[in-house]
Amino acid sequence: MAGVALKANVRVGRERPLSFLRLLSLACTLLALAAVEVRALEQPTQTEIESQLTCQCGCGLTVHSCNHVNCPSGIPLKEEIAQQLKMGEPREQILSWFEKKYGEKVLAAPTMRGFNLAAWTMPFIVIGAGFLMVAFILLRWRRQTAVAGVAGLSELHDKLEIADPAARARLEEALRRFDEGK
Amino acid sequence: MSEIGRLALILAFGVGVLGVLASLIGGLRRDRELAAVGENAAWAFCGLTGIAVAALLTLLLRHDFNVEYVAAYSSSTLPVWYTIAALWGGMKGSLLWWAFLLAGCTAVVLLQNRDRNRAFMPWVTATLLTTGTFFISLLVFVTDPFERLPFTPTEGSDLNPLLQNYWMTIHPPSLYMGFVSTTVPFAFGIAALATGQLGDGWIRSTRRWTLFSWFFLMLGNLFGAAWAYVVLGWGGYWAWDPVENAAFMPWLTSTAFLHSVMIQEKKDMLKVWNMVLVILTFALTIFGTFLTRSGVVSSVHSFTQSGLGPFFLVFLGIVLTISIGLLVWRLPLLRSRNELESVFSREAAFLLNNLILVGIAFTIFWGTIFPVISEWVRGVKITVGPPFFNRVNAPLALALVFLMGVGPVIAWRRATWSSLRRSFGISASAGVAVGLIAMVAGAGNFYAIVAFSIATFALMTVLVEFWRGARVRHAVLGEAFPVALSRLIGKNRRRYGGYVVHVGLVMVFVGIVASSIFKLEIQKSLLPGESLELGGYTLTYEGVKNGDTDHVLWTAATVAISADGRALGAVYPEKRFYKKPEQPTTEVAIRSTFGEDLYVVLASYELKTGAAIFQVFLNPLIAWMWIGGLVMTIGAGICMWPSFAERRVESTADAAERVGA
Repeated sequence: MAGVALKANVRVGRERPLSFLRLLSLACTLLALAAVEVRALEQPTQTEIESQLTCQCGCGLTVHSCNHVNCPSGIPLKEEIAQQLKMGEPREQILSWFEKKYGEKVLAAPTMRGFNLAAWTMPFIVIGAGFLMVAFILLRWRRQTAVAGVAGLSELHDKLEIADPAARARLEEALRRFDEGK
Repeated sequence: MSEIGRLALILAFGVGVLGVLASLIGGLRRDRELAAVGENAAWAFCGLTGIAVAALLTLLLRHDFNVEYVAAYSSSTLPVWYTIAALWGGMKGSLLWWAFLLAGCTAVVLLQNRDRNRAFMPWVTATLLTTGTFFISLLVFVTDPFERLPFTPTEGSDLNPLLQNYWMTIHPPSLYMGFVSTTVPFAFGIAALATGQLGDGWIRSTRRWTLFSWFFLMLGNLFGAAWAYVVLGWGGYWAWDPVENAAFMPWLTSTAFLHSVMIQEKKDMLKVWNMVLVILTFALTIFGTFLTRSGVVSSVHSFTQSGLGPFFLVFLGIVLTISIGLLVWRLPLLRSRNELESVFSREAAFLLNNLILVGIAFTIFWGTIFPVISEWVRGVKITVGPPFFNRVNAPLALALVFLMGVGPVIAWRRATWSSLRRSFGISASAGVAVGLIAMVAGAGNFYAIVAFSIATFALMTVLVEFWRGARVRHAVLGEAFPVALSRLIGKNRRRYGGYVVHVGLVMVFVGIVASSIFKLEIQKSLLPGESLELGGYTLTYEGVKNGDTDHVLWTAATVAISADGRALGAVYPEKRFYKKPEQPTTEVAIRSTFGEDLYVVLASYELKTGAAIFQVFLNPLIAWMWIGGLVMTIGAGICMWPSFAERRVESTADAAERVGA
């Protein structure tokens, strides 16, 4: 019985390992898709523009979120947004109008130009570099393991000739528990 | 009483310095007597800090307005509970509270290690006392909480009304406890570096402390979100404010450490990385304190801003210099024999999980300090707010939740297609099915569909693990299923407690996604008797009631709620006017169900006409966030509770150390 189980395990262990890069590229594609901003082509809404501007009353919230009674900043900004929308201006034009009037600090997020590009790109550069480093480290460890001839436990187990079925079953159980992280 | 408090602080500073020196020299010379002097000094430090806290609390409760802090943060009409909360409501009190909590942690560490980790203890004591003494030194030399005024005001200025809320009585203590307790793993890490004993001894000794600090950071963040939700009245709970970010970053790196430490324990790998994470987590707590108290970035949490920023910056610099110096010095000893059979294994999944967690922490750090960098480089003030953080972090959060589903189940060493099919077949199918259902049901939003799909995958992976484990026990041992399930958890609390935490986190994630994307809102002016409609609910404004106490003037609107012609009761949103600071606040009214929150704000009202402006939000699945937090609490409790096997391992290690000693 133990022998049957052992064979089954060996067969599993010898299966073609997954292509790391293939799966990784799949995951990256999915992530990139997730990162793509799905923007509607139609006219922006009042809420959308309000959410892109920072209230200047000191609350630290967006114009949309600021709920100060008679807010000296939020209320005029909301009225101006409504006016701009009435004129049928596109999103970028409206934001640019506010930037010119109040300065960059009115925008709730940095613009995507000049030095501000660093704000947007740096996280992905750092994470990308980290990802390459992790990939490099993993591949190096794997190579080291192979070169040193340190067989994986499952391969070692495969090579061992254990005549005693009870001992073999114990080893089998220990390996199974190890695999399951118990 | 203020003299007693002041004297206690001065003495605490003195014994702190003595304790640091004695511990350091004791550690360097391996002199047990000097190390004992250091520990005794630490005990004295704990006692004296306790006396200082008791003194300030007594002054607050006695309303001694001659003390500047008491006059600035309390009043005679402030309810007792909030008078106690005033202890950490102001900058000076919060520093004292920090030092007190650290003293408490130091006392527990000393008690736990009376007979163990003797080689580490001088260094641990020195590190804990250095941090504690730094905080006390600020109170002694820079900002005295017991400072007396040249006159005695008849009344205090009162606690900031925004802090007069029950969440504020538990949010700061939880967050401070989380911040402070990160010092313990850091102290053991420094001790391991200093002594060169870099095996897993220091990790074993601090495992529960790491969980403890992670748990309180999590609670602190959740309580803070709950406070913002019920107090600020804008319908949300997280605004990516710099101070919120400061509290969130250490939780992320601490989470990364909790995962990567498993690889060190299991495979003796990642020793350098784990040390980096411990140092980084502690450094981020000091950085957070610097942000809160420096005013270097604008924040709504301005009530604790002061000129203390440079002191924290210098302390942070010293911490990083010493830590990194020790780390570089010990690099040869930290090299581990790294073995990896396959890049498609649990080890690799955990590494990716670490990358994403630290990546999110970096993104938040970068976004938080970018306005300062922009001002330095270009001389232009800019804002980095929710649109930036949401946009950059959303894909990272999706990747993290996906890995949360993969990490716990993928095999150590090597995964194969068949093992993947076995482990993830059901959960992946469920994830795809939920994604399709969401699409067909008209969820419409790409992020929401992907998020629900991935959340289902992560949740099902864990549930299937529970089911499989319990089923095996049921089949082999004949235990009833509930018994099998509870014993399964009991036999490996760390593993299954971690799974419970994952379930809670998935719930929080779903709550965040749903409430962010599918929120509905309306603002309308109503006269008594008029109604507004939102998401199938009809809200009828019936009128207002006014009230007046010594402390506050209030106006509450009565709003009847119905849906499909069925009456669902009434809510009473309020406007308050606090008399001492002469400040208005909004008290929202929330009708909460498992599916959604109806969040009603009385924005303004006119006494003459009775007209009132209401802001109403319909926030889906908000309750999932709070329930998820509760589930995470239960999971963390399961993890922290020592199992019989762990106790046996610990007692064996202690016995071995005693024999060795």
